[in-house]
Amino acid sequence: MTGMVQSNRSFGRGWRSGAAFKAALFAGVAMASVAAHSSVAAAQDKTTIEFAASVLADPSRGPIYQKWIDGFNEAHDDIEVKAVGIPFSSFANTVLTQLGGGQGPDVMRLDLDVFMPAASAGLLMDLDDTIADGEYDFIGPDQYMKLDGTRYGVVFSMTPYVLLYNADLAKGVPETFEELIEDAKAARTDSVYGYAFRTTMNQAAGFWQDLCNFVYGFGGEWADAEGNLTINSPEVVAGVAAYKEMYDAGVIPVGATSSEYRQMFWEGKVAYMIDNGGVAGLLANKAPDLPLEAVPSPFPHPEQGMVLAALAVNANSKNKDAATEFVKWVLSPEAQQALLTIPGEVYAGTKVARPEGDTETAKTFEKVMEVYTSQADYGTPQLVPGYADETPQMQQIILEEVVRVLKSGDDPQEAMDRAQSQIERRVLRR
Amino acid sequence: MQRPMSKRRGAALEGSPWTPYVFIFPLVAYLFAILAGPLLQEFWISFTDTSLMRPDAGQFIGLSNYRFIISDPNFHQVLIVTALYTAGSVVFGIGLGLGTALLMNHDFRGRSVARALVTIPWAAPSVAVALIFSWMFNAQYGIFTILQKSLGLASGAENWLDSTTFALPAVLIATVWQIFPFSSVVILAALQGVPSEVKEAAIIDRADRLNVFKTVTWPTIAPTVALISLFTTIWSLRRFDIIWILTGGGPLGATNTLVTELYREGFIYRDLGTAAAIGMIGLLIASVVTLLYYGASRRAEMRARGAA
Amino acid sequence: MKGTSPFVFGVLIVLGLIVFPFYWMLVTATTPPDQLMIETPTLVPSFTRLGVFVEVFSAVPIASWLTNSFIVAAGTTVLCLILSVLPAYALSRFRFRGKAMLALGLFVTQMLPEAMLLVPLYAVFRSLELLDTLTGLIIANAAFGAPIVTWILKGAFDAIPQEVEEAARIDGCSRFDIVMGVALPLVAPTLAATAVIAFFHGWNEYLFAQTFINAADLRPASVGIAGLVGEYAVPIHLVMATGIIYTLPSIVFYLIAQRYVVSGLTAGSVKG
Repeated sequence: MTGMVQSNRSFGRGWRSGAAFKAALFAGVAMASVAAHSSVAAAQDKTTIEFAASVLADPSRGPIYQKWIDGFNEAHDDIEVKAVGIPFSSFANTVLTQLGGGQGPDVMRLDLDVFMPAASAGLLMDLDDTIADGEYDFIGPDQYMKLDGTRYGVVFSMTPYVLLYNADLAKGVPETFEELIEDAKAARTDSVYGYAFRTTMNQAAGFWQDLCNFVYGFGGEWADAEGNLTINSPEVVAGVAAYKEMYDAGVIPVGATSSEYRQMFWEGKVAYMIDNGGVAGLLANKAPDLPLEAVPSPFPHPEQGMVLAALAVNANSKNKDAATEFVKWVLSPEAQQALLTIPGEVYAGTKVARPEGDTETAKTFEKVMEVYTSQADYGTPQLVPGYADETPQMQQIILEEVVRVLKSGDDPQEAMDRAQSQIERRVLRR
Repeated sequence: MQRPMSKRRGAALEGSPWTPYVFIFPLVAYLFAILAGPLLQEFWISFTDTSLMRPDAGQFIGLSNYRFIISDPNFHQVLIVTALYTAGSVVFGIGLGLGTALLMNHDFRGRSVARALVTIPWAAPSVAVALIFSWMFNAQYGIFTILQKSLGLASGAENWLDSTTFALPAVLIATVWQIFPFSSVVILAALQGVPSEVKEAAIIDRADRLNVFKTVTWPTIAPTVALISLFTTIWSLRRFDIIWILTGGGPLGATNTLVTELYREGFIYRDLGTAAAIGMIGLLIASVVTLLYYGASRRAEMRARGAA
Repeated sequence: MKGTSPFVFGVLIVLGLIVFPFYWMLVTATTPPDQLMIETPTLVPSFTRLGVFVEVFSAVPIASWLTNSFIVAAGTTVLCLILSVLPAYALSRFRFRGKAMLALGLFVTQMLPEAMLLVPLYAVFRSLELLDTLTGLIIANAAFGAPIVTWILKGAFDAIPQEVEEAARIDGCSRFDIVMGVALPLVAPTLAATAVIAFFHGWNEYLFAQTFINAADLRPASVGIAGLVGEYAVPIHLVMATGIIYTLPSIVFYLIAQRYVVSGLTAGSVKG
C-alpha cells in the first residue's frame, strides 16, 4: 500500500473561506444555466421550423443555400425557417436516431438511402393531401418519392454522375473505360494523379456512390426486378474488376479522402474524376479559372448512380402546416429557378428552365451542367432495389469484400460470391 | 510511507445516521436517472429485435441476438482487435508514461517547463488528435509517408490508416500519444512518495540504478501503476471518437473494436437489439477484467502484508 | 545530479514526440495552400501567414462552436463538482450500509460506452425536453464525469487528518458546514484538478453532441470540426487552423491549472 502522497504544503492553500467558495460555485451554476438557455430562446410570435440538410453544413456551399432559404423567410411574416446543417458523414445516423425517437427537424433534405427506410417506417408525413400530382410538372425520378402509391416527399434535387476532367491535364477525352485508364496513366506525372475515387471505409457512404457508378456502368444491378440479389452476377463482378483495374493502374492517390482529392483536383493535381453535379459546382466555386470540362462516364452502359435528394416532412413535426408551406414554396417556380442558380444543382423537383449564365465563367460552367442534364435519364438510385431498409448493411458487406479485392488481390467473382452469401446469412436472417 | 491509520472513520460515526444518505442522494438519483435506467433498458433491448427506426416497437426474441453475435466470425475478429487495441494502449500508454515519469523525476534545468509540456496531449481533444494524425498519415503528402520514403522504408504509396497491417498500429500511435501523458502525471505524482532518504542511502551504498528501482521505487509506485492500468484498460474498451474518425473501424475490420462494432450495428445497420447485445458482452468483459484486477491486487496485498 | 546528458537526450526525445503533432498542425495551417499538396513539404511554420487564424473565423463558424463548447465544458465542470463533493466526503468519512455498492456503482460507470446509452438516453431527454439544448449535453456529460470526480475527491478527503475537523465540530457546526468550510478548502488543489478533468470531458465530448444537438447555432466544436474531416472541401490549412484554435483553450487552461492537477491527482487517485 502506498500512502497519501499529498504534501502538506497544499493544506490551507486555495479557497480559505467556505462561504466565498459556495458563492462562487452557485454563481457559476447560475451563469452556465442562463447561458445554456438563452441561446435557445427564439422569437415568440413566429412559428420557427427547422430545415435539416447536409449541404447546409458545408462551409463553402452552406451560405449559398442559406441565402436561398432567406428568400422564403423574407416572404413570410409568420414562419421562420431555420437552417440545420448536419455533416454528411453523420447525417443518416443522426437524423434517423432523431426521427426514430419521435423528434428531429421539421423538414429535411434526405438522400434516397435515408428517405426510403424513413418513409417505410412511417417516420415521414404523408403528403398526398398537400401535393397534388397534376399540379406540378415533376421530373422523372419523382416516382421514387412514392411508396405503395403514397407520396412521402418531393424531389429536392437530383444529379447524375459524369466524367469531369481538367482540360490542361487531360491527355484525351475517353469514350471507353480502356481509354480512360490509358488517358489517366498518360496524365500521371510525379505531382499529378490521373484519377481519383474513394476506397476507404471511413468514407463508406461516398465509396458506395463511386462503386455504384462502376457497377451500373458495366450493366450491373444489385438485385433484379423480382427482388433476387444479383451481387455476384457477371455484370457486377465486371464493375468490381474495373474498380480494381483503376485502383491498380498507379494513377490514384490511394487512401485520400474525397475532401483531400477534390482539393487536389481544383489545385490541378488530378486529371479525371467521375462525380456528381454538386461537386462540379464546388470546383467551380473554389477555382473559377479551372478548365473544367465534362463528358458522359465512359462505361459500356450509360447507367450511372444519381444523388436523389427528397424534401420530406417529419411525421412527428409539431408544425406541419408551416412545414408544408415551406415545401410548397420550394416547388414554386421562383424558388425552383433560384435553386438552380446554386452552382452544382442540376435538377430541382419540377421541370424548370436552367438559368442563363451571364458571365464567361458561368457560361463555361453551364456547358458542364448540360452534360449532367443530358445524362439525367440514366441516373439510378444507389440502393439495393427492394431492400431500402437493409441497404446500409448490405452496402457495408459489399464494400468490405471490394476492399478485399483491392487490397488483398482477391478474385472479384469469389469476393462477390462471398458478399452474396454473407448478405443472405447476416442480413436476411430476420 | 505509512498511511495515517488512526480510527478516523470510526470516530466519524456520531451525528444523524441519515447524514451519509443525504450526502449521496443527489448523485445516486442522478446516476440512476441518466445511466442506470438507460442501462437497464439496453439490457432489455438486447433481447429484442428493436430497430433504430422504430425504437418502441421491439419484439422479444430471447437470446437470438447473442446467439447470432457469438456465431459470427466477424465478431471473433472484433474481440481480437479489441484485445490488441486494449493491450497496446495499456502496454505502451503505461510504459511510456512510466518512462516519462522516471525521466521527469530527475532534477534538470527546465524541468518544470518540460513537465508542463509533456502532459499537453492529454489536453488535446480527440477530434483534433484524429484530425492531425489523419493528415500526418496521408499517403501522398503526409509527413509520416514522406519520412518513410526518405528513409527508404517503403514506397510510401500506402496510407497506414488504410492498411490492413498498419491501421491498428497507426490508431494505437495516435491513442498512445494522447493517453500516456495522463499516466505519466499520475505516476510522477506517485514517485514523489518514494522516500528520498532510502534512495540516497542506496546511492551511497553504490547500489546500481536498476536495483534502486527494483527495491525502492517500484514497490512504492506499483499499486498506482496497477490502478492506472486498470483504468486505461476499461477506458480503452470503450474509446470511440478517435478510432471512428480515423478509420471507421476499417479497413476490413482491422481497427473494429467492440465499441465501433456496437455503433455500426446500432446506427449504420440500425439494429439496436444486436448493438445492445454487443454492449452487454463488452460490459461483461470489462467486469471480468476488473475482477481479475481485484483478485490480483488482493493477492499482492496479502503477500506484502505477509512479507512485512 | 544536474543535467547529465543521457537524461537531457531522453527528455528531448520525449518532448519532440509530444510537441511534433502540434508543431505540424501549426506548419500545415500557416503554409500557403498551394505548397501543401506537394511531395516536398515545408518544414517550418511561416509566421507571415498567421492571418490564417483570422481568415478561418469567416470560413467556418468556429466562434459559435467554441462558445458552445465553452458553455458545455463550464457547465459540466460545475455540475460535476456540485454532484460529487458531498458523496466523496461521505465515502471518505462515513461508514454506512450500501457504501460498497456505491463505490462499485461509481466504478461501473467508467465501463459504459456512451454509444450504448445513446438511444435510451435520447428517449429520456426527449421526455425531459432536453434535446437540442446545451443543458442536455451538460447533464449527459456530468453523468460520466461525476463518478470519476467523486472517486478522486474521496481520495483527497481521505488524506485530511480527522483532527482538523474536530475543532469545528466542537463549535457545533453542521456536517455540511464542515465540508464546505473546513474540508473543501483543504482539498482545493484536488478540486482544481477534478475541475480540469471535468472541463476536458465537456470540451471534448463528441458523440452525445452529434446526436442530441440539431441547431447549427448550438453545435459545439467537436462536432463541427469532425464534420470537416472527409467530405467537405474545406482546404486542409483551414482545417488545421480550426483544430489549433479548438485545442489551444484547453491547453492554456491546462497549463494554468497544471500545478494543481499534479498535486491534486496525487492526493486523489494515488492510493493502494
